[in-house]
Amino acid sequence: MDPDAVAKAFVEHYYTTFDANRAGLANLYQEGSMLTFEGQKIQGAQNIVAKLTSLPFQQCQHSITTVDCQPSGPAGGMLVFVSGNLQLTGEQHALKFSQMFHLMPTPQGSFYVFNDIFRLNYA
Amino acid sequence: MHRGLARKEKGIHWHRELQVEKMEEQVETVGRAFVNHYYNLFDNDRSSLANLYQPDSMLSFEGQKIVGVDDISNKLNNLPFDHSKHVVSTIDSQPSSFAGGIVVFVSGSLYLPGEDHPLRFSQMFHLIPAPQGGLFVQNDMFRLNYG
Repeated sequence: MDPDAVAKAFVEHYYTTFDANRAGLANLYQEGSMLTFEGQKIQGAQNIVAKLTSLPFQQCQHSITTVDCQPSGPAGGMLVFVSGNLQLTGEQHALKFSQMFHLMPTPQGSFYVFNDIFRLNYA
Repeated sequence: MHRGLARKEKGIHWHRELQVEKMEEQVETVGRAFVNHYYNLFDNDRSSLANLYQPDSMLSFEGQKIVGVDDISNKLNNLPFDHSKHVVSTIDSQPSSFAGGIVVFVSGSLYLPGEDHPLRFSQMFHLIPAPQGGLFVQNDMFRLNYG
């Protein structure tokens, strides 16, 4: 499958899950996964999901503006670089964000998130 | 039922946490040093950026994909401005799954002469150990962040 298409499909799945049911993100991380969220470092699927499900908003909507992807090496990994908007329910203006994922293949033929770095983009 | 860890085990756990912390610090330090070096070269000696890429390196520049040090060099040397100043706001680094590799995520401002306002940008680097020692840029993705 075309790597760009794979990256786009992953990104859509990730944010759809995030916006509908954050706990469902647990399947996309493993024990060695790392998240840096606005500078805070978190390791392991359990801790990562605990962080994401405890963010101080009930509902949100990600809309993606750009997705760039590149293969990361012979192990079949993919780097994905996203920018977009994050609308929190009740907030007047959407927040801009950038995020990078380093996806690694699973034996079942899908991907999980090994590296994840999220930053809001302030004007 | 366990009352707690024996002193020896506690010592080992503490040591391991310290090791993890040290590794994290190292990765952050290396990431930061690389980023400062990269933008210093970009702003003061752009043609020398060629030393940081290899034949397999990839650059996505505002969505345009470029492969290999020669084409990447060409692209960067021919950007439509002679002078630039990158001012970094945030640098986040993590070890990559590639042995000795680091992913670095940067946000900052790009000042160009003649422009009223700086351009906001985000950039990610995947750094890999070079055969001759040091790190090179295996993957590079650059995007302007429009307001």
